[in-house]
Amino acid sequence: MLDYIYDGSFDGLLTAVYEAYYRKETPERIMSEQCYQENLLSTKLYVETDTVKANKVYQAIKNKISYGALKNVFYVFLSELPEAGTIIYHYLKLGWKIGNQVDKHLTDDRVLTVHDISRKVGRERHLMLGFIRFRQLEGNIYYAPMEPQYNIVGLVAGHFASRLADQNWIIHDVRRGIGAVYNRKEWIITNIDVKELKFSEEERNYQQLWKEYFNNIAIKHRFNPVLQKSNMPTKYWKHLVELT
Amino acid sequence: MQLLDKLRILAAAAKYDVSCSSSGSTRKNTPGGLGNASYSGICHSWTSDGRCISLLKILFTNYCVYDCAYCVNRVSNDLPRALFTPEEVVALTINFYRRNYIEGLFLSSAVYKNPSYTMELLLKTVKKLREEENFNGYIHLKAIPGADFSLIEEAGKYADRMSVNVELPSSEGLKLLAPQKKHEAIIKPMSLLSSKITERKEEKKKYKQAPKFVPAGQSTQLIVGATPDSDLQIMKLTENLYGQFKLKRIYYSAYVPVSNHPHLPNISAPPLLREHRLYQADWLLRFYGFSAGELLDADNPNFATDLDPKTDWALRNLHLFPVEINRADYEMLLRVPGIGIKSAKRIVAARQVGPLNYSDLKKIGVVLKRAKYFITCRGRYYGATVVEPEHIRNKLLAGSKSYQPQYQQLSLFSLYPDIFAADEQLSRITGEL
Ligand code: SF4
Repeated sequence: MLDYIYDGSFDGLLTAVYEAYYRKETPERIMSEQCYQENLLSTKLYVETDTVKANKVYQAIKNKISYGALKNVFYVFLSELPEAGTIIYHYLKLGWKIGNQVDKHLTDDRVLTVHDISRKVGRERHLMLGFIRFRQLEGNIYYAPMEPQYNIVGLVAGHFASRLADQNWIIHDVRRGIGAVYNRKEWIITNIDVKELKFSEEERNYQQLWKEYFNNIAIKHRFNPVLQKSNMPTKYWKHLVELT
Repeated sequence: MQLLDKLRILAAAAKYDVSCSSSGSTRKNTPGGLGNASYSGICHSWTSDGRCISLLKILFTNYCVYDCAYCVNRVSNDLPRALFTPEEVVALTINFYRRNYIEGLFLSSAVYKNPSYTMELLLKTVKKLREEENFNGYIHLKAIPGADFSLIEEAGKYADRMSVNVELPSSEGLKLLAPQKKHEAIIKPMSLLSSKITERKEEKKKYKQAPKFVPAGQSTQLIVGATPDSDLQIMKLTENLYGQFKLKRIYYSAYVPVSNHPHLPNISAPPLLREHRLYQADWLLRFYGFSAGELLDADNPNFATDLDPKTDWALRNLHLFPVEINRADYEMLLRVPGIGIKSAKRIVAARQVGPLNYSDLKKIGVVLKRAKYFITCRGRYYGATVVEPEHIRNKLLAGSKSYQPQYQQLSLFSLYPDIFAADEQLSRITGEL
């Protein structure tokens, strides 16, 4: 058995795919070093991330398969599932064999798995566009903590950059310790460590108004908490102002 | 009065309006401005009744000079009243939006003093939002029936969506329960909006720069179960409204008992199952190519309680089934119970690269539990029954947990509203974007 191990970056993963192709090898698994678990029976190859090689693979996905496939691959990568690398590898091999029709092979497990994960990541992204809650801090910075399952902070930042264009804001993935920071011009992803937060004077006021609104807009004749929870899973409630 | 108290009163007064959709607009942010629209809409939260919150939905005021029997805000009802100022609504909207609580504002109102006076207040508020605050988020504005047309038309320059509520499915109903509201006063602004929207769309095709007019279109709402109108009458009305006025959405609101007016039915819970069936049928009209006349007729003027309208239709038209998955065209696939739009599209796509097996269908998202009675796959029928309505009906009903013999279901419904309120499948569909 042969395992490829990459550094956990997207470029690292693409480099691993490149190496497999040019070495004419078929690794059993492609895993990030963060997820890798020793297996005595397997041979390991540590892949050195190389942006030139990664870019070649990137272009080959876009040009020889499709833009949609590239998006799928990126979304599956962001799922951070331990088997994501291997799943992507099999999908791409099939993709280069059959070209831009690959996403029509809806009954092939290699395609199905990718679509399924990609859809879950996309769905969480969409939910987060709604669930992110900014708190106004002293100094007129808006701060939003979140704990998504997948690594999607980079997928939501653009949405807020065009929408809340005239605000300074931070979206903080608390669990991963990273965040998107926006300065009314551009946003970057960076490591974030928050020590103390001071709310602006009017912040509590608006939080209270929002809670009041939230509690008064429900119809008690239609009380249906099961439906509420199926639409808004409780794992996201922690950072929702109206539910704390 | 404190802003907090006003918000409490005027949110509670607006809650019976079902629409909270923020979809359909392409409004973009402007340099230095705040906000943009998301074409597919975004839900920001869900309340304890399972409904999505997308917009800040409030009445400008609940002081009303009218006395509509089915409405909590009727003048003869004794309840706390409040009135916002345009500045207050603007501050709430902007500050909620900056915190990402909402997609925008849904502003409606009771009739304060008179329709035109009320409309002017609404207009003033949205104008302030757009022109002074550079707000580009979503705005849904109610057109107040009976208000001056010029006011309604001007409001259309600022709103993404406008709506006039039909309220009741028939003009007899209106006469009985809302004597001050005239059928024409509702239809006229609808038709005005509809022709303006079409006109502006045409202009936009020629000059990209033509200003927007209600870009997310118009919608309406009607109350179900407050009058004796049948589902057939409602679906016919629905069909006309979509056809004639090009409405984007029609919302059905199960009548919530708020009064014991002699003309109102004496019920203890809103007819949620009926509301659910109407939404299912509305979907069939808009996306599945059905017409009202196919779903209901004079002999069957109301939807079945035990089966959804599509399955019910299929059982009455068994001569069209079973259809072969690998050959049936898209339109026919859509008519198969257990196949939705997504799975129909996937079937069509997947067929291009190879024939489908029965075991593939599940992967694609087909609900085989229902579909298997109406399809063949590579020539084989998997329904394991005789293709006859009664056999299939029994199989389908035996497979669905929620099924109760009809008399029992109806009495349960009125006796134990909570059982129904807690059933998630009943109103899932109304919580969509
Ligand atoms: S006009 Fe509107 S707010 Fe006033 S009583 Fe009638 S439905 Fe209610």
